[in-house]
Amino acid sequence: MDLFLQQIANGLIIGSTYAVVALGFALAFSVLRVIHFAHPDVFMVGMFAGLVTAETFPFGGLALAMLGGLIGAGVLGYAIERSVIEPLRGRDVLTTLIATLGVAIMLQNGMALIVGPDPVPYPPLLPRRFLDIGPVSVTVRQAANLGICLLLLAFVSLYVRGTRIGRATRAIAERPDVAAAFGVDVARVCQVTIVVASAMAGIAAVSVGTLYGSASAFVGLLYGLKAFTCMLVAGNRYFEGVAAVAIFLGVLEALVTGYVSSSLRDAVAFLVLIGVLYFRPNGLFGSYQT
Amino acid sequence: MRGNGLAPPLLAIEGLAVSYGAVPAVDGVSLEIHPGELRVILGANGAGKTTIIKTVLGLLRPRRGRILLDGTQDLLRCRPHQIHRMGIAWVPEGRQLWSTLTVLDNLRLGGFRERDETVVARRIDEMFQRFPRLGERRNQISGSLSGGEQQMVAIARALVSGPRLLLMDEPSLGLAPLVVRDVFALVKEINAMGIAILMVEQNARQALKVADWAYLLETGRIVESGPAAEVAGKESVQAVFLGGHA
Repeated sequence: MDLFLQQIANGLIIGSTYAVVALGFALAFSVLRVIHFAHPDVFMVGMFAGLVTAETFPFGGLALAMLGGLIGAGVLGYAIERSVIEPLRGRDVLTTLIATLGVAIMLQNGMALIVGPDPVPYPPLLPRRFLDIGPVSVTVRQAANLGICLLLLAFVSLYVRGTRIGRATRAIAERPDVAAAFGVDVARVCQVTIVVASAMAGIAAVSVGTLYGSASAFVGLLYGLKAFTCMLVAGNRYFEGVAAVAIFLGVLEALVTGYVSSSLRDAVAFLVLIGVLYFRPNGLFGSYQT
Repeated sequence: MRGNGLAPPLLAIEGLAVSYGAVPAVDGVSLEIHPGELRVILGANGAGKTTIIKTVLGLLRPRRGRILLDGTQDLLRCRPHQIHRMGIAWVPEGRQLWSTLTVLDNLRLGGFRERDETVVARRIDEMFQRFPRLGERRNQISGSLSGGEQQMVAIARALVSGPRLLLMDEPSLGLAPLVVRDVFALVKEINAMGIAILMVEQNARQALKVADWAYLLETGRIVESGPAAEVAGKESVQAVFLGGHA
């Protein structure tokens, strides 16, 4: 029972991180109609932006490093939107997929040129201390990561449901033409959407770097594939659905690791996700016809 | 008072040609509508009616032609959201509501161009008074409403923007006969509020009863144009649309 609760906690921590990246993927796909394969590498650049910030201003702590991650990822996301995605608007989805994949490869190898191909140590922005919550034991870093990611997810949910631009975002996701004909500047909202998705990835990335104590130019690969799969499994009708599937994936992985074997972790997790698609090809929560 | 050439028309379409790839959909259409008028474009499926509407809205780019608002503003230079902000609202074919959003959120988005939230809230309240059933269902997902209710939301959504010109694309399509009667009564009522309406319809009998002026569109060209009562008497219209039906 203790192992079960412990693995649930571990799963929530990793799953909430997948959820932040997956939600960014889903925002880009639903609103801009682009499979933004560079998004996980925007996450990676955000991680290094936080690292540089923390090393430049050692007394800024976690908050300043996160601000660095937010700005670094946000600016990069905006630049990719304007220079690669926007000029290809209206083209086939494969065209933008290949273009953003190209950007992803450039970012990974560009960063590897600067910092080297191996993981580099991340500044200890939080103590390594353990917290005991009943039978479950987590580190301060893990608890902080879960809290930060859940806050980011809540923020996006409030944003798309409670604000004027957020409503316009959902309107574009379902019917871009009707949204435009009701006064929504679609190009502007697309830019805002990418900046929001990138900035939240940047914040989460600093937290993840702190959690594992290392950053790597290729960290995006791990998150990218999982986030992309979560988006497909959830469908693009509800952004919150994508986050829910990602958190479920994290828990599933942790349970397989705890009870079966860590080497079977990805195999079992992806088998379950693909199984869902077999029975619900439009995703667990449905998809818009596009 | 209408078409006297003194005031410029509210909307003037001149020599419009639109094609999808190599296939022409609209070929040299000219028409106009003056402030406060209700004009209807009749035509069968595929005649090019929706194409005209979407081109006015800026959603399609024409091959040739001009579209002028107030005689001066060239709409072909504008993007869709800019055209809407000049006071043109749309009731799309098949409603096209935001199906996962609530009735209230659909109406809020209808008022997107109005930045003053209190103005939008007042207009939405007016809509809920006019359509009490929508008021009862304000927090319901719009995709769960009946066809007639969805059409009311689509019309209310357009009205919340406070338009000068309403473009209505087949508002009676797919509705029960009793609801169709309500919709045309409502069209008449909106027009009486001073809002000009350019409507596209296949239901010629009902449309000709409410319209001031009618155009008949066949394979992308206008083949008849005149006061609705006159067009209703034309043989071509009788044969195609009014003959044989009770």
